[in-house]
Amino acid sequence: MLAFSLMGAVAGLQGCEDYFDKENNPNLVTDPPLPSLLSTTTHKTGINSYLVGNITSYFVQYLASPSQGGSSDTYQVTDYTGTWDALYWAMADIYDMRQLAIEQGATEYVGVANILMAYHLSLVNDMWGDAPYSEAFTNMTLTPGFDDEASLYDVTTQLLDEGIAELQKPDSKVQLIATSDVIHGGSVENWIKTGYALKARQLNKLSGTSSYNPQAVLEAVDNSYTSNEDNAEMGVFETRNPWSAISLSNASLLLGGWLSEQLIQHLNGTSYGVFDPRLEQLADTTASGTYVGTPNGTGNIGPANNTVKDESYISRNSPLTGDESPLIIVSYPEVKLIEAEAAFRAGQMDRAFEAYREGIRASMEMLEVAEADANAYLSSAAVAQSASELTLDRIFQEKYVVTYLNPEAWNDARRHDYQYANFTLPEGAAIPTFIRRVAYPSGEASKNPNTPDVTDLSAPLWWDQ
Amino acid sequence: MRNSFTLLVLLLMCCWVPALAQDNIVSGRVTGADEGMPLPGVSVTVKGTTTGTSTDADGRFSIRVPSNDAVLEFRFLGYRIQEVRVGNQSQVNVTLATDTQQLDEVVVTAMGITREKKALGYAAQEVQAEELVQNRQPNLLNAMQGKVAGVTISSTGGAPGQGANIQIRGINSIDPNRPNQPLFVIDGIQVNNSTSTFGEGAELRGMSNRLADLNPDDIESINILRGGAATALYGLRGANGVVVITTKSGQKGEMRVNFTSTAGWEEVNKFPEIQDTYTQGYTGEYDPTSFWPSWGPAWQEARQIDPTHPEGIYNHFKDAYETGNQFRNTLTFTGGGEAITFSSSLSHLRHEGVLPFTDYQNTSARLNTEVKLSEKFSTGGNFNYIRSGGKRYNADRFNEMLSYWSPRWDVQDYVKPDGTMQSYGNDNPIYAAATNQFEDDVSRFIGGLNFSYKPLSWLDLNYRVGLDTYSDDRTRTAPGPRNVADERVLEDNGQGFVHEYTTKFRSINSTFIASANKSFGDKFNATLRVGHELYDEHIKSFGVQGEELAVFDYFKLSNARFLSSSENESDYRLMGIFGEASFDYGDFLFLTLTGRNDITSTLSESNRSFFYPSASISYIVSEHLGLPEFINQTKFRVSYAGIGKDASPYSISSGYAPYTNFPTGYTGVTRAPLLGNMGLKPEFTNTFETGLEMSFLENRIGFDLTYYYSVSKDQILNINVASSTGYVRAAINAGKMRNKGVEVVLNATPVRTSDFNWDTKIIFSANRNKILSLPEGLEEVTYASQFGYVGSTVTMKLIEGQPYGNIYGSHWQRYYGPGEEEDPLFIDESRPRVIGENGFPVRAPLSSQKLLGNSQPDWIGGFTNTFTYKGLSLTALLDARVGLEKYNQMDNFFAAFGIAEYTEDRNQTRVFEGVLADGTPNTKEVWLGQGVGPDGVNYGDGYYRRFYRGVSENFVEDASWVRLRSLTLRYSLPQPWFENIFIRNAALSFTGNNLWLSTDYKGFDPETSFSPSGSNVDGFSGFTYPAVRSFLFTLNVGF
Repeated sequence: MLAFSLMGAVAGLQGCEDYFDKENNPNLVTDPPLPSLLSTTTHKTGINSYLVGNITSYFVQYLASPSQGGSSDTYQVTDYTGTWDALYWAMADIYDMRQLAIEQGATEYVGVANILMAYHLSLVNDMWGDAPYSEAFTNMTLTPGFDDEASLYDVTTQLLDEGIAELQKPDSKVQLIATSDVIHGGSVENWIKTGYALKARQLNKLSGTSSYNPQAVLEAVDNSYTSNEDNAEMGVFETRNPWSAISLSNASLLLGGWLSEQLIQHLNGTSYGVFDPRLEQLADTTASGTYVGTPNGTGNIGPANNTVKDESYISRNSPLTGDESPLIIVSYPEVKLIEAEAAFRAGQMDRAFEAYREGIRASMEMLEVAEADANAYLSSAAVAQSASELTLDRIFQEKYVVTYLNPEAWNDARRHDYQYANFTLPEGAAIPTFIRRVAYPSGEASKNPNTPDVTDLSAPLWWDQ
Repeated sequence: MRNSFTLLVLLLMCCWVPALAQDNIVSGRVTGADEGMPLPGVSVTVKGTTTGTSTDADGRFSIRVPSNDAVLEFRFLGYRIQEVRVGNQSQVNVTLATDTQQLDEVVVTAMGITREKKALGYAAQEVQAEELVQNRQPNLLNAMQGKVAGVTISSTGGAPGQGANIQIRGINSIDPNRPNQPLFVIDGIQVNNSTSTFGEGAELRGMSNRLADLNPDDIESINILRGGAATALYGLRGANGVVVITTKSGQKGEMRVNFTSTAGWEEVNKFPEIQDTYTQGYTGEYDPTSFWPSWGPAWQEARQIDPTHPEGIYNHFKDAYETGNQFRNTLTFTGGGEAITFSSSLSHLRHEGVLPFTDYQNTSARLNTEVKLSEKFSTGGNFNYIRSGGKRYNADRFNEMLSYWSPRWDVQDYVKPDGTMQSYGNDNPIYAAATNQFEDDVSRFIGGLNFSYKPLSWLDLNYRVGLDTYSDDRTRTAPGPRNVADERVLEDNGQGFVHEYTTKFRSINSTFIASANKSFGDKFNATLRVGHELYDEHIKSFGVQGEELAVFDYFKLSNARFLSSSENESDYRLMGIFGEASFDYGDFLFLTLTGRNDITSTLSESNRSFFYPSASISYIVSEHLGLPEFINQTKFRVSYAGIGKDASPYSISSGYAPYTNFPTGYTGVTRAPLLGNMGLKPEFTNTFETGLEMSFLENRIGFDLTYYYSVSKDQILNINVASSTGYVRAAINAGKMRNKGVEVVLNATPVRTSDFNWDTKIIFSANRNKILSLPEGLEEVTYASQFGYVGSTVTMKLIEGQPYGNIYGSHWQRYYGPGEEEDPLFIDESRPRVIGENGFPVRAPLSSQKLLGNSQPDWIGGFTNTFTYKGLSLTALLDARVGLEKYNQMDNFFAAFGIAEYTEDRNQTRVFEGVLADGTPNTKEVWLGQGVGPDGVNYGDGYYRRFYRGVSENFVEDASWVRLRSLTLRYSLPQPWFENIFIRNAALSFTGNNLWLSTDYKGFDPETSFSPSGSNVDGFSGFTYPAVRSFLFTLNVGF
């Protein structure tokens, strides 16, 4: 009887050998099709441009905390673990898409992956300097080493070059799918242009170094965007544009998205003598019908308390920050101003002047400024009227407006040494100079012993010496 | 009928007594001390004679005694022997006390096998119903607190239905996501005790551990098998110990009804000390709309600026909590005849918490039956249906919001007439608790059938199949804005939402055991058991989150503008084949050998089948050798066991999970957070255990000593990895961990008279853990961290040579002279602090993270005293947990926001003790306040914000405690009262829980934990649901 039962048990076991085969997690996909990674990576790229912009916008004083002594406002060592993690987890997906695409001979996907990776690397590199890359995402080690900041710059440029080359190859085994590409809707041509736009950014970043080559910048510009139609932007949201979400919360008194006094004065005529019509497209007027910014580090200056809308905030009525507005990763007006700067530095004053004016015009167009208002501004004293009037300061002045809320603004500010009119240290700044980098996040530092210990936020990055 | 019978007996007695002048007839009734129920079958003898009788079904007896000097002896299995001198009484009513230390006792061990306690070669400690229901805890786990050696039970907080955590002999497993909880077996069925945190934010909502579904009044006894040889037959699911629960079964005889009702109230047992001087504002400037709750001026100063400022400031922490209450009613029916016995119960619990708008309800119905079909065949069933759940709030957010709330304003004034939040600016936590809701509704069925067949006198076949299944529906809601004038929207509510979550759980557990028993000669006896066990578990969860409500308070998914979903599914299968051979010789030497082979679905094919053995010996010295008379029993035991353990489901696979940040219309996948590992091997724990049990002086003093030593190697864990790996976690086999410890149980009856008894019990246990090795290439494994301001975040990590539970963080810089080397791990407190040129102490670079404490206690102890005088009994349980530290995140916020009592010195000038970088003493005087000090220097955010809050060392505190866990006064109403009415017995009791607490910890009661029950992360006790002191009245009536 006993032996019989045991035999029965053993036989039962052999009868269903795969009864214990539960290796594959039913919640996961093991072999994802490329488009399902393309949608994720392009979406994450847009969101990450926002996440980084939501840090750097306090450094360049587009935004200001409504509270006194806001930690980003005042250059305190602030933990940006959430943003760092989002960047690295996005890079892991991009890395996997690239590896899969290489296996499958899907050159278009390899190209897009390269460009997205380059963009992410530049975000990380320009915030923190040294960062994991060569040992990252690969399952090689659980504690990736940190690559030197200058070598990451080189890798970024190389990724862009290779990405452009891959995109130019015909016969991709798998083609981009419009509905899965939430940045360029599957347009290979636009991806190539974006590759060049990012390359122009990247090369122009060296303006303060001996290896700066304005001619190379101009070559990249030549292959890049020709209108706002080409812009790299991402407009697919689970609920709404994240800036708009901040604005909506602010309206419900969950304070955030307050525009800095610096930005308002940049646009309302205080700093440059002429009211810039783009301000009307960025912000709504206050309860008293004006535009009032909040000084960084000071917090709400009133006169009324937080419940009275007597300051300017990110606006849900703006074409840039409305519920359905796309997040701008890199734009035609920005490329035109890169061109203006590179041409200016190369001594090609006419080209610089043309690009400068076109940049402003395109920016007005992007912000849906009425043509008459745009023209009035273009012919005002705030704008150079001839090549001889053009200065680098004027180019940076305009680019500051064009890169509103974009992470690239901080690179410009550092290259320009924050020399915008009336730009001052925030009240209660934790360091005596303008901020040059951010500290590594605790999330990485606590789990990766290779994380450098950076506490001096006034130490410039290699290209910012 | 019964009453007329009594009358008849009395009449007969009246007639007999005069006839027998010399011999006296003594009659009476015997009841059990535990529930006051009559005890049938108690042996009653006249000491020194052969005269004896036993009690009838009503516990009554009558016996002839030779003289007034006669002594009656009452004996009953499981109860203490009691002697009563007859004297001139003709009526002797006796209450027998339960006895848990008798070696003759029979205990339920692994797989429902009942064995004599003396045969066990390992420690086993039972908790009986009487002890269990003493403190009237709604959660069964809490009811065991302080009563069992080697077992640490922590209530994670005082919320109604909130989960409790149980650890047996320390942490055996490193992975915080792999609960270190023991296996729970109820009437032979493995039941689920997980704490599900499915649903957004559920991990902070104090969800129940599933054992909380059970009604403690249903339990007959609990036996805790603490590991090693004791649990070997249960296989890997018992690797963290096994809690064997037996519910009450029916008794032959007429039907009995018992009704128990408990009602009472509760309050927060410990509040943090907060400052009562400074009001709203910043840098000492008053501002009634400021975000900053208490960096303003002294309130007297503010009152001069703002006459509407109240006189003084509120104690918003005390104001925000209220008095909770609970009611539990249980009705039980038992009875049966020769063939069928049954026990059934119905119970209902309603519990409202101290945090406003939190509650919990539990309704349970149980039926246990046993059917004896023939001498050879019997069958039985246990069925329990439970419905439980309630409104849970996030105590972490509640206390965080309270920390932001300015005590200038009354926090109880939380809602405006139009239903929107009343606030000066910051979020009101009570409004949050009222509107941001999370409610669970669990419907559970636990059922089991067993069949027992005894074809031959020496052979027993037993088969049992059990089912534990439940659905757990959770609804998370918050209203959207009402769009009325001047509306303030609670940040957590946003645009409103409705989330619906459902989990379906099902486990089937089948066990077959064949036992053969054979005697060889009259001294040697052998029992062989073989068995097969299968555990098959399926869990499926899914949820739909609807965001942004069109109608602000219409909580339907179709009213939400955006929908997203989440889902998870898991299958787990485990099969074991096991055998046990036990031999006893001369009733004093017992040897048990076991072996088990498991096959698990969570490891790859080449690693999934594994075997492990155990051996244990029990030697009853007192039965073998002649020992002095004052020694009653002496037992020595020793055992060795190996136990394997598998991985959590799907630890071996990686892949891509749905990317969930898209709106409907888009899909994508993203790398799953876990880096799986195909090569995972089972981990093994080898345990050596030895013990000695002795009792003296007629069992009035006894002890049970245990020493154990266990090593777990190739630990399977999912470690948190740096995001630069592209993953969140990685599965690894990580090194070795050791636990060793001692457990002591001491019982004594200092006073034993017929009317008055004093029983005392001490339990003590100490566990020492050490990480013997980590996998190659890893210097440390971080398994938890908790936020602290500007660099004071603490982490819990494993470092070779260090114990589990270490908390690391930033620290003040100590002075090391030239050539002196600084230890990278330990703070040298004897050294002076380094003071900077600015006159303030210097924090060491954040790269230096030192050991600040350990969350595992050095020792735990329980001290129970029971005093019984006739029908009155008083029980006091002192419970201690000593030598542990926890991170107090609340205090970190209190420093940052000027709430802590110690920040009252903010307007003082001080010279910090310490030395400058060159080693010379600091003499610089500095001001602790914000802004420009009296010396004209601008001190910015002030000492507490600039320096103090950024140093973890300040917030890792001694979390030791000693408490009066419970005090119970119970009065059994005298039996004679019930002679002629339908009530058989009745008792009244009062219970006070947590009446007294002694601790140096600054926050709430440090027993509470930030982590949900079931988590191995126990180092954080900051913004927790505070523990409660409760006052409960119980009425128990038997019919």
